[in-house]
Amino acid sequence: MKAEGRNNRGVGKGGAAALRSVAGLVYLFLYAPILVLVIYSFNRSVQTAKWLGFTPRWYAQVLRDHELIESARNSLLIAAVTTLTATAVGTLAGLALARLGEKRGAATKGLLYLPIVIPEIVVGAALFTFFVSLQWELGFWTIVAAHVSFSVSYVAIVVRARLAGFDRTLEEAARDLGAGPAGVFWRVKFPLMLPGIVAGALLVFTLSIDDYVITSFVAGVKTLPLLIYAKLKINATPETNAISTLLLAVTIAMIAVAQWLLRKR
Amino acid sequence: MNRRTWIPRLQLLPTWLVLGLFFLAPMFIMLGISFREKGPAGTIRPVENVKQYVAQGKFLHNYRESIDPIYAGVYWRSLWVAVATTAICLLVGYPVAYYIAIVANPRRKNLLLAMVAIPFWTSFLVRMGAWKLILGTQGVLNTMLGGVGMSPLDLLYTPGAVLTGLVYGELPFMILPLYASLEKMDRSLLEAAADLGAGARQRFRRVTIPQTMPGIVAGVILVFIPAAGQFVVSDILGGSKGALVGNIIQEGFQRNKPLKSAIAFELTLVVGLMLAAYGWYVRSRKAEG
Amino acid sequence: MFNFNRLITLLFALAFIAGGCKKGTSTASSTAGERVVNVCSWSEYLPQDVRDAFTAKTGIKVNLTLYESNEMLLDKLQTGVADLDLVVPSDYTVAILKRQNMVQKIDASKIPNWRNLDPRLMGRAYDPQNEYAMPIFWGTTGIGFNRQALGNVDSWSVMFDEKNAGKILMLKDSRECLAAALKLMGKSINEKDPAVLRQAGEMLKNQKRLVKVYTSDDFDQTLGRGDVMLAHGFNGQLAKLVATDKAKFGYVVPKEGATMWIDAFCIPAKAKHVAEAHEFLNYLLDAKVGAQLVNSVSYASSNTAARAEIKPEILNDPAIYPPDDVIKRCEVMEDVGDPTMDLIDKIWQEVMVK
Repeated sequence: MKAEGRNNRGVGKGGAAALRSVAGLVYLFLYAPILVLVIYSFNRSVQTAKWLGFTPRWYAQVLRDHELIESARNSLLIAAVTTLTATAVGTLAGLALARLGEKRGAATKGLLYLPIVIPEIVVGAALFTFFVSLQWELGFWTIVAAHVSFSVSYVAIVVRARLAGFDRTLEEAARDLGAGPAGVFWRVKFPLMLPGIVAGALLVFTLSIDDYVITSFVAGVKTLPLLIYAKLKINATPETNAISTLLLAVTIAMIAVAQWLLRKR
Repeated sequence: MNRRTWIPRLQLLPTWLVLGLFFLAPMFIMLGISFREKGPAGTIRPVENVKQYVAQGKFLHNYRESIDPIYAGVYWRSLWVAVATTAICLLVGYPVAYYIAIVANPRRKNLLLAMVAIPFWTSFLVRMGAWKLILGTQGVLNTMLGGVGMSPLDLLYTPGAVLTGLVYGELPFMILPLYASLEKMDRSLLEAAADLGAGARQRFRRVTIPQTMPGIVAGVILVFIPAAGQFVVSDILGGSKGALVGNIIQEGFQRNKPLKSAIAFELTLVVGLMLAAYGWYVRSRKAEG
Repeated sequence: MFNFNRLITLLFALAFIAGGCKKGTSTASSTAGERVVNVCSWSEYLPQDVRDAFTAKTGIKVNLTLYESNEMLLDKLQTGVADLDLVVPSDYTVAILKRQNMVQKIDASKIPNWRNLDPRLMGRAYDPQNEYAMPIFWGTTGIGFNRQALGNVDSWSVMFDEKNAGKILMLKDSRECLAAALKLMGKSINEKDPAVLRQAGEMLKNQKRLVKVYTSDDFDQTLGRGDVMLAHGFNGQLAKLVATDKAKFGYVVPKEGATMWIDAFCIPAKAKHVAEAHEFLNYLLDAKVGAQLVNSVSYASSNTAARAEIKPEILNDPAIYPPDDVIKRCEVMEDVGDPTMDLIDKIWQEVMVK
């Protein structure tokens, strides 16, 4: 649908220009620190912002840092396990809620909204108290349990929203054409849900990999955010900048790969 | 059980198990601890006579202690920081979302959106560390100011620094829901309003805002809640006077679990009440609409 | 639209790479029965190269977590769910841990290098029989200052002076801050009288608006970056900073007196890798390793055998190895008992929320 119509945009030319400027400034604001990050990851100086010369030594240091590599590995592993579990549980919940409707699903919906509306620090503190009360040793799996518990909600909500307008007639049509209940599910409902599942999974992965607050309460092994926080406190800034630049490069690469996968032949 | 609902109910079982065990149970245990007294060195004093303990109102003593006037400053500061962050994010985020959804070239939409989300994938902590580098006495900003002959400004370890860090971290969470709402908006309504003689401001107030309410609500919730309970930004950028509720809860949590748990629940309560009030306000406006 | 073929190809490629990577990045073996020692230490104490060298020599992996203050360390141990084999509490914290049965005896017979320990640090109040703690570093807590901005500094009063508003950094440590106030009042840092403590607390509360930031980690960096002109801090890190620019920075143990601290290794009662812990302790007491530690972190060590290889500029630096007259006006912190600790916690909370 072409954007025609006299006042389809709600703003005139002047308004559009103003919006463009504001947006431009905001993008600048969003990226200025990142630019600073990347540039200063090459700075020879350790503490001040004075430019003392270009050096790639911080990257060499990062790649040699066993603790860092291990923390990154832990974070990836935790995120992977969390994503698989939370996506599975959350998808089932989203499916069920869409089927049950408003009244019967109300209690579950309330339960699912709680981890989102309660501040992270409260959830983290509660989980910590829980594990200590049970004398449950803090380690890898306590982190996974914590991450899964706050992630399920996101997947469930996204999947349910995706199924919200689900047209029953599609289901009936499929059945009329001879598909069994399994066929109806896999060939009609599932493809419809898939973008929601994928979106939910991506969200869970992102949240888990960068989580600091809740992890700081329940961790037994080092994760990347915990390590970065420790390094930041001792102020090893150039190294943390290098880590971040690498993460950024990896992310952009992943997005590019995703685009490659999604492009038509 | 109804024949048609036993499958969905079964599908909900894992959710209830996971959330029951790792969310509800911990919250209940922490609530229980908030009623106890702290023992020596991080332990919890056992209660001899439960009936007497409750009857004498002793179980509320942590809550009483938490409303001691010495905490008033911190609570107040946390509240206004959270509100200010949300307001700024809304004021700044709405134009950007509007731009991407409506004004910009439709072919660029995905790119513009991705550009909003990408900072999200750099470590939050490191981005705050970057602000430390930018705002410090010998930081990027002051070095630039020095270059044009101005004396350095006191930017780091101030409430302004905390606000900057918070807005910076939360902005994408405001822009994305707003965008989603704006994108879905039926623009023919704007045309119709224009045809009926409504000016730009009127169209915005009476068509755009009500139509994008779900996005605004989502954005406000996604920004306000983390801002209210956060402690990382104030820890890194806040300095001596930056302590917020989150910092109070986090610091020395183990040594005085009962008191800090009580404060945590009060935070939850206040956040919950504010959300409820906001929801009520939005619904009453919709009714008028 | 979603190209599954490409996805499968990609996944295979990733699996291939990941399989190759695993061999490259593992330091110690990842087989079952992998030997580890979990250490919780102060930020600067155990540099990476020392840990890596230990792993290379013994095959025991060193997992390091950090703590910012003794209270934080107590927190970790009191939960009972932290998996730690070695911790590095300060003097009075050792006494508290002993009191609460949270540490076990160190078997000196398993540590041949025990004889390298400096006798001056042994037999202290917190561990008279030297059974539970192995001293590793010792030093003073004083003031790092910007000479160019403030000239010479020799008293705690500068930290409470209006003229220096907004230029002061204090440690985020309840007992250390109180120690500064108590010393200015002419009292002992181990004061137990509630009235005196409350008075010291009031001093801290009044001081708060002069303080830019409270931190126990990067006090030296913050001074070095110019964000503050006066930094309350520990001698080693500050001495390192002073060494980079003697004309600009200085370190002083104020004339009213200050804290002399001794940090020691302890083995938590619930430690699971006790043998590995003993091996690590013995390794740290080796003459060469001891010197490596001191040269790297700039703190005075308990290891007498290491002296031969310590850099002379460190050995002769009065900030790091203080002369007798400085030591005389310092006090070591003692365990003041739970009721006093509770009062101190309360006072500190009041200062923090102001």
